[in-house]
Amino acid sequence: MIRVTNLHKSFNSIKALSGVSFEAPDGCITGLLGPNGAGKTTTLRILYALLHPDQGKAEVDGYDTQKQSIQVQQRIGALPDSIGLYPRLTARENIRYYGQLHGLRGSELEAQIDRLVQLLDMQDFENRRTEGFSSGQRVKVAIARALVHQPKNVLLDEPTNGLDVMSTRAMRSFIRQLRDEGKCVLLSSHIMQEIAALCDHIVILSRGVVVAQGAPEDLLNQTRQANLEDAFVAAIGSEEGLER
Amino acid sequence: MNAVRDSLNRIGVVLLKETLDNLRDRRSIFSALASSLIGPVLLLVMIVIVGRTFFRDQIENKVQLAVQGAENAPTLLSYLRQRNIEIIPPPADPAEAVRNGDLNIVLVIPPTYGEDFSKGKPATLQLILDSSRQSAVADIQRVMDLLESYSDTMASLRLMARGISPEVITPLAMERLDVSTPQTQVLVFLNMLPYFVILVVFVGGMYVIIDTTAGERERGSLEPLLINPVHRWEFVLGKLGASLPFALLALVATLAAFAICFNVFPVEEYVGFQLSLDVKALVGIFFISLPMVLLASALQMIVTTFTRSFKEAQTYVGFLPLIPALPGIGLAFMPVKATLWMMLIPTFGQQLLINQMLRSEPISSLNVAVSTAITLAAAVILILIAIHLYQRERIIFGAR
Repeated sequence: MIRVTNLHKSFNSIKALSGVSFEAPDGCITGLLGPNGAGKTTTLRILYALLHPDQGKAEVDGYDTQKQSIQVQQRIGALPDSIGLYPRLTARENIRYYGQLHGLRGSELEAQIDRLVQLLDMQDFENRRTEGFSSGQRVKVAIARALVHQPKNVLLDEPTNGLDVMSTRAMRSFIRQLRDEGKCVLLSSHIMQEIAALCDHIVILSRGVVVAQGAPEDLLNQTRQANLEDAFVAAIGSEEGLER
Repeated sequence: MNAVRDSLNRIGVVLLKETLDNLRDRRSIFSALASSLIGPVLLLVMIVIVGRTFFRDQIENKVQLAVQGAENAPTLLSYLRQRNIEIIPPPADPAEAVRNGDLNIVLVIPPTYGEDFSKGKPATLQLILDSSRQSAVADIQRVMDLLESYSDTMASLRLMARGISPEVITPLAMERLDVSTPQTQVLVFLNMLPYFVILVVFVGGMYVIIDTTAGERERGSLEPLLINPVHRWEFVLGKLGASLPFALLALVATLAAFAICFNVFPVEEYVGFQLSLDVKALVGIFFISLPMVLLASALQMIVTTFTRSFKEAQTYVGFLPLIPALPGIGLAFMPVKATLWMMLIPTFGQQLLINQMLRSEPISSLNVAVSTAITLAAAVILILIAIHLYQRERIIFGAR
């Protein structure tokens, strides 16, 4: 369960967020949709407890990201903007490192890694060093290490960026599976079709403010449009971010 | 208590991962080992080269002297021959031969020599030489000295023939006592050993620090790493800790290499005497250097925080060993006496102490304590600064 209230954030003179509020409930896929530079990554970074908001607050399962950052970080699994791996470690060692940082050890940790290797179909490369992995393989390792501690809340920043069609399909079904397990999934994308295909609840961001939010059908009503694409364009006031 | 144990556990996880990761990196190992060998090998080569020059000079070897007009001055030539000068026939063009370097020196005796000499007039001799040729300097000096002493002898004989004591024209009697031996000349180079120790302390763990900080950012693995429930100070200590084994390994390797170079390598054959480095002194140097290892890693950590890429970090960190090394190089040529206030300067105090150990001078334990405490305190302050820098949110952007 994620709640964000009236977030403001500036970098030097550039205002990245000016009053962002929304909720992402458990057992639901919430989508942050907006063109590049709308404030999606900044919002997520505040939720990872990497950035402090200038105003407002962000909570994960009731824990404040500023005052209880460690508790927040124990409860989230994140696929952030950059997903660099350690090229001299194997896929399994990369995942194990994050598990150990979460305090997992021994057979409990190994069993959990085995489960994720199965789930993400990584058997072929789990013991290979990650140097030279394809982007699909890299994303899988990054997802596995983010989920190794079985977090209740999953935050994904542009999770299908750079993936081919097959990997994208696999990723989408994996995200639905997370929702069906009752997790709170928050994902960001600048691609309308991606959000439309996955999300139960959509938050449209533009220039640091929430311009519309609700279930897909609510958005159609709010913007009085016949399809989501037009609703998106109407909400942000331009055609930026539509895939052609 | 539990919180402390958890923190130690997390620091240990970071430390072990970075150590394993860097053990698989050839660059880290190479930089640790290569830097530790540069010093001893360089020093040995310099000592052998310099030692050889001095050693050679002691045995006066035969100097070849080409003489044109030898028939004009048979007495002079036999005087020279008696003093280990080999007279050889002149080349066709003496000036050209000297300019080319075929000959170091050519003596030209004009036909008027005999006549002038017997009349008691200054008899002209001509020396053709190239004073800019370093390799000829010793030969030129020998020949000029001999000609001068021949001239002096002749002057004395002429004065005596006229009933005047030669002492009249020697108001000063110069005596030279050169106490320099090949040993002292060569030992000047040993003064550079502290500099090489400092170099190794700074370079040994350098790649690990760069890899775990700037490298982490360049790979894009810093942002996901920092999302883990780990305090920033735990990351800083873990990463810093991972650099220490590499730096210590380099330090041990360099001291061992010094020991091997000077105790096992037959230096005697080249410089005429055997050098020796006391193993006890080397062990002492190791312990004296420990606080500097921590200081160097902390300083590098701070510098790399401001860099975006591996290359950039390498450039800046590469300059760091020069700062403490400058007084070290000065020390090699202008030794100072170790005083307490000098111990207050981190790394400088250690260099003085290392120098004292090499010369087996008595070492004040107060000096050791003060220099160690000050350097450790400086390291702790630098670590706190590094932690502070890691707590800034700008860390994920690699901001300046």
